[in-house]
Amino acid sequence: MDTFGLLANGLVAALQWQNLLYALLGVTLGTAVGVLPGIGPALTVALLLPVTYRLDPTGSLIMFAGIYYGGMYGGSTTSILLNTPGESASIVTALEGNKMARKGRGGPALATAAIGSFVAGLIATIALAFLAPWVVKVALSFGPADYFALMVLAFITVSAAFGDSPLRGVTALFIGLGLGVIGIDLQTGQARLVFGIPDLLDGIEVTTLAVALFAIGETLSIASSRTQMKEEVLAVKGSVWMTLEDWKRSWGPWLRGTLIGFPIGAMPAGGAEIGTFFSYAAERRLAKHPEEFGHGAIEGVAGPEAANNASAAGTLVPLLTLGLPTSATAAIMLAGFQQFGLQPGPLLFANNAPLVWSLIASLLVANFMLLVLNLPLIGLWVKLLTVPRPWLYAGILTFATLGTLGANGAMSGRLGPIPFSFELLILLAFGILGYGLRRFGYPIAPVVIGLILGPLAEQQLRRALAISQGDPMVLVHTPIAITLYIVAAAAVLIPLYFRLRGKGAVLSQMASDED
Amino acid sequence: MSLGEPNLSRRPDGAALFIALVLAVIAAVIIWQTSMMRVPPIQAKVGPQVFPYVIAGGLVLLSIGTALSAWRGQFPAREKDNYGPMLWIIGGLVAQMLLLGWAGFSIGTAILFAFTAKAFGRGPLWQTIPIGFVLAFVIWFIFSRGLQLALPMGPLERLIP
Amino acid sequence: MNKLLLAALISSAIAVPAFAADYTIMAPAAPGGGWDQTARSMQEALQAEGISGNVQVTNVPGAGGTIGLAQFVNQFNANPNALIVGGYVMVGAVLTNASPVSLANVTPIARLTGESDVIVVPAASELKTVDDLIAKLKADPGSVSWAGGSAGGVDHIAAGLFAKTVGVDPTTVNYIAFSGGGEALAAVLGGQVTVGISGLGEFDAQIKSGDLRALATTGSARLEGSEIPTLGEAGVDLVVENWRMVAAAPGITDEQKTAIGADIEKLVSSATWKQTLATKGWQDMYLGGTDFDAQLAADTEATSAILKEIGLVQ
Repeated sequence: MDTFGLLANGLVAALQWQNLLYALLGVTLGTAVGVLPGIGPALTVALLLPVTYRLDPTGSLIMFAGIYYGGMYGGSTTSILLNTPGESASIVTALEGNKMARKGRGGPALATAAIGSFVAGLIATIALAFLAPWVVKVALSFGPADYFALMVLAFITVSAAFGDSPLRGVTALFIGLGLGVIGIDLQTGQARLVFGIPDLLDGIEVTTLAVALFAIGETLSIASSRTQMKEEVLAVKGSVWMTLEDWKRSWGPWLRGTLIGFPIGAMPAGGAEIGTFFSYAAERRLAKHPEEFGHGAIEGVAGPEAANNASAAGTLVPLLTLGLPTSATAAIMLAGFQQFGLQPGPLLFANNAPLVWSLIASLLVANFMLLVLNLPLIGLWVKLLTVPRPWLYAGILTFATLGTLGANGAMSGRLGPIPFSFELLILLAFGILGYGLRRFGYPIAPVVIGLILGPLAEQQLRRALAISQGDPMVLVHTPIAITLYIVAAAAVLIPLYFRLRGKGAVLSQMASDED
Repeated sequence: MSLGEPNLSRRPDGAALFIALVLAVIAAVIIWQTSMMRVPPIQAKVGPQVFPYVIAGGLVLLSIGTALSAWRGQFPAREKDNYGPMLWIIGGLVAQMLLLGWAGFSIGTAILFAFTAKAFGRGPLWQTIPIGFVLAFVIWFIFSRGLQLALPMGPLERLIP
Repeated sequence: MNKLLLAALISSAIAVPAFAADYTIMAPAAPGGGWDQTARSMQEALQAEGISGNVQVTNVPGAGGTIGLAQFVNQFNANPNALIVGGYVMVGAVLTNASPVSLANVTPIARLTGESDVIVVPAASELKTVDDLIAKLKADPGSVSWAGGSAGGVDHIAAGLFAKTVGVDPTTVNYIAFSGGGEALAAVLGGQVTVGISGLGEFDAQIKSGDLRALATTGSARLEGSEIPTLGEAGVDLVVENWRMVAAAPGITDEQKTAIGADIEKLVSSATWKQTLATKGWQDMYLGGTDFDAQLAADTEATSAILKEIGLVQ
């Protein structure tokens, strides 16, 4: 049978009414747990995995897919409305999304996120069905030197794109890089900057840092500011729905985000968040109104959200074709497959074709279900903003600490006879850091980006040099790496060239950059 | 980053100079800790110390840049802080952290909830603590019993089988 | 008065943890990993077989299980209801992290399951046998890059021991650590490294499909029906097995230890447990009582020696 026929069979199985019910249940549960800050799709799936044990394989896989996509979607909702990313892949969404929400455009932001996720999920899932074997070959040809080049490109595009002041942006990035060094060094097993504290051996958890900087830092910042305390939040200004203008500005970013996110998700050492960084940087460069970035540009929500979902589907490429779990979520999905005696890998498509195709079909169904469920709910979600401040922020802190405890609730600290959770202490410390950064006009996102990209860049560089036994030429040895460096150079030089052409604007631009 | 004309109308920014100092101290700590590392005799040109040193070097430069920028008063203007509400929130987080281990999730979180509400001007505590408690207990029940998430238990949580 | 009450509350809350459960099993890892799955499978089987009425699993992730281990020792001293899941990884992690608490601080009960490592090369590699690998290693140790899990872990130890056994200085082993989740597999498949060394489960599907060639496993015996030779059969006198174990709290009495041991023996001979092993593809490596104590001591000593030789531990 050809691919179309197999997919059609899968869809027929997935569209039976009880399976649709499972999809609905999975999407609802996934969204509900996914909105909690600190609890991303990985933990959501891990927590809800036992719920799926009792169902038949098809029903279980469908629910599974629903939980996965629902968890991803839930993270963006809190990012946009509350400036509290539920997971690392929706950090970028908070940048523009929350600015939109504060201007009363939370509805369109949520809508472009939902539709963008749907479009990206649809295209990426279809790409998964038809292009998987080919994509995986390209992904495998990336060696450590190529990954390092990719990280260099990420640093360059990302650091140019955040914040008004280069000095403060780079400082924030370096704080993140410094935090990234903490913990056991993977290559030598030696502890770095842990100060004898065992809880630091595994390094700083990205979600803990993100929740602390965004949720706690934001709460402290608003509480301390007399003007912000008085500022009225508009739940809805204009339409809850996207305008024609919004549509026009969104469809390009959706497609570009998908194009960026899918291959990066498919790379064994990629990761969903990196796709969102690239997408944001690209949209900022391509936008017709770049000055809107930082003040609620819809492109900055549409692109990264699409990239996020596309890379979720991309993650399934190496998982299904090679049995390679490339993210925490994929690792847990692997455990989910194994409960049916399904061994993802090169033989999966040959041995378990019907089940694989019903999984792919159920991803499509879950994706569609999410759209159907969430679009009408946007009006309700936006009401969240009308919750009075005391209750809203008390609730945010409650859920932020709950998410942190849920991810790592070990009472490993001790103050006299009182045991306490070290992770919560970290949350508090970085919450205060987040407040300090806001207070002095430092951007928040580069800190988290530094923590994510720094260790990746370091490990890949050291791997590349170890394999080559110290020959630095290995770094520019492959066509992939050379291409990436050329793109990175272009990203720096082309804007510089345009700036130099309009000299008069340059000086005033630079002067205003300072503030 | 220091190409802009110094804004002479502004005075040196003390707090921003302090940030420059903090960055320098962080760099010093990284260098000190890294220099004390024992590097295993594994053959590698770029060992575990290189990145920390590079980052520390970057922080030193950024510290200098920050100091210059602070000297010229180039940091954005800030409004005066209102410390009362902040202390309530931090107090709530500390109280929750210290209570969780033995009083359980619901009591600890109730305090955090009420203190945060207080910071945003909603009280009195004898009203908000019970509200927070009920909310936290329901959350605890759903996540701990429904989803098997390991949340801290206290005497009250243990009453529920 | 109030202070007294508070003190009483605190001490009672700390002294009587979770009396509702017959067993509390600590998985010193995040939900989803191998130790967590072991703990949850035990929970399921213990309850299903009626060995224990109520079993709870808690997760304390971090630093190769040493954080969970330290907390277990502090929290559950002399508590006969507390169990912890652990494994060979912990032996190495205790040493490399200079953890103040080691497996000597708990009461080991039994080894439950295990998996041997396998040495693989890409299908197109010039290396066909273990002897080819030894020859290349002896000629230029640096030219053989080994991809495996984190430094100081089982894979690294196995690579170091391999070099040592065939007469190559283990400090010259060019070991490239990859974080979990199949990154090592990708590097081997993509031909980025010379050989891969990791758990059989990581590479199994690619070996079967012919994308990777298995040179040897590090187990003591061949898997049933497998064509992959053991290192012993290939002429290298070396066995490295990555086992998982269960241990009880420190300071329990001998009777309590015997009772827990009996419960675990009932567990491993139950139908539910055997079913779990089959679905998860875990190898039954049950070893209880004093035999396990001896095995654990021997493993700890060998691991400590090789980690010192590689230079990861002083």
